[in-house]
Amino acid sequence: MQKSTIQFLLINCFLAIVLVSCGSVTKNYTPKKLDKTAVEVPYFADSKTDYVYKTNITVYGHELSGIFIAKKVNDTTHRVVFTTEFGNKLLDFEISEKTFKVNSIVSELDRKILINTLEEDFRLLLKNKYLIQEQFENGESVIYKSEDGKRDNYLFFSKKDQKLEKVVRSSKTKEKITITFTLENDKFAEKVVILHQNIKLKIALNYFKSE
Amino acid sequence: MKTKLYIFLFLNIFSISIFAQEQKMTDAEIATFKQDVNVVSKKIKTLSTDFVQYKHLDFLSKDIETSGKMVFKEPALLSWQYKKPYNYSIVFKNGKILINDEGKKSAVDIGNSKIFARINKLIIGSVSGNMFDDKEFTISYFKLKGQNLAKFIPKDATLKKYIKQIELTFDKEEATVVQVKLLESSEDYTRIVLKNKVINAKIDDSVFTN
Repeated sequence: MQKSTIQFLLINCFLAIVLVSCGSVTKNYTPKKLDKTAVEVPYFADSKTDYVYKTNITVYGHELSGIFIAKKVNDTTHRVVFTTEFGNKLLDFEISEKTFKVNSIVSELDRKILINTLEEDFRLLLKNKYLIQEQFENGESVIYKSEDGKRDNYLFFSKKDQKLEKVVRSSKTKEKITITFTLENDKFAEKVVILHQNIKLKIALNYFKSE
Repeated sequence: MKTKLYIFLFLNIFSISIFAQEQKMTDAEIATFKQDVNVVSKKIKTLSTDFVQYKHLDFLSKDIETSGKMVFKEPALLSWQYKKPYNYSIVFKNGKILINDEGKKSAVDIGNSKIFARINKLIIGSVSGNMFDDKEFTISYFKLKGQNLAKFIPKDATLKKYIKQIELTFDKEEATVVQVKLLESSEDYTRIVLKNKVINAKIDDSVFTN
């Protein structure tokens, strides 16, 4: 009897912990009825546009700068290149929802952990269609939840103008990556910040018009 | 059918004219050309020039264009400053690289770093034209209309990883560099056009602070 009570208490405690942690990502949001089942993101989706951004990367206190270039090369795939200001190519990827190919990378950056991190970041940045399972809201935003394997992506649309301003990628318990967009117009992000919560990495992109 | 033939002929003529433009120099012409460039580059104590940089990537619809000003002072002070579309400058000075990125300043001590010493030498060599080092490069020489062209293939394996080939285009009369082209692969390159060049004007050392 006593044994089973302890077990019961333990399970209850465990459940409570799980429930609390589960709720931590969305705990400040109010659940809403789903008003759509899919969301499209246009910011890197035009195959005619060369997306060219001046980039500053801060990683564990070190600063790196250069030029980030992305282009949609076919229906599923983006080409992503990062160069120095002088134009030397540092890395060159091809990335889609399911595939990832390194065309070239300088030996200084050729680290598995770095490549995996960038793969996850760029895939999230360039993803242009999300299937939605849940919907929430808070003061400023309508929030859509899109499941993605072990992770969940939360898309924050501003209530004021219905624009996607933020994407949060999280585990069941913790936010991992936050991407914020500063928009020039409906289809185009002038500024993008990719911020990691679990490692000290921040990637800031500022669009520049080539003259 | 007829149009196809015309297009074919046109393309043929076009490609012939491209090849006709780039003609190999004779040994005597190479000797004269090298001497002309050496005489001019030996006289260079300071040099400042505007530049436009075109980054060509095969998959892009347009080259990425940036521009600014480059200043060199003997023996090894170099400032490379982008002004459009952003402010970014890099100064090579006494074994240090000073960077100013939109007001954010940083410095890298390159000390005895061989690769940076080589890059520094390469940039100065590219702009002044004095780069005819057979130990470092396999060099070939060509004539163009009103211009000369030298192609440098690095011999060093480390350098070769970054740059497949460097092409310097010289004005025939002045024997100075008007264009630098750095090829990373056959499809991707950086082309830098130099203009408004001023040689041996007085340049204050304060230019090379960041």
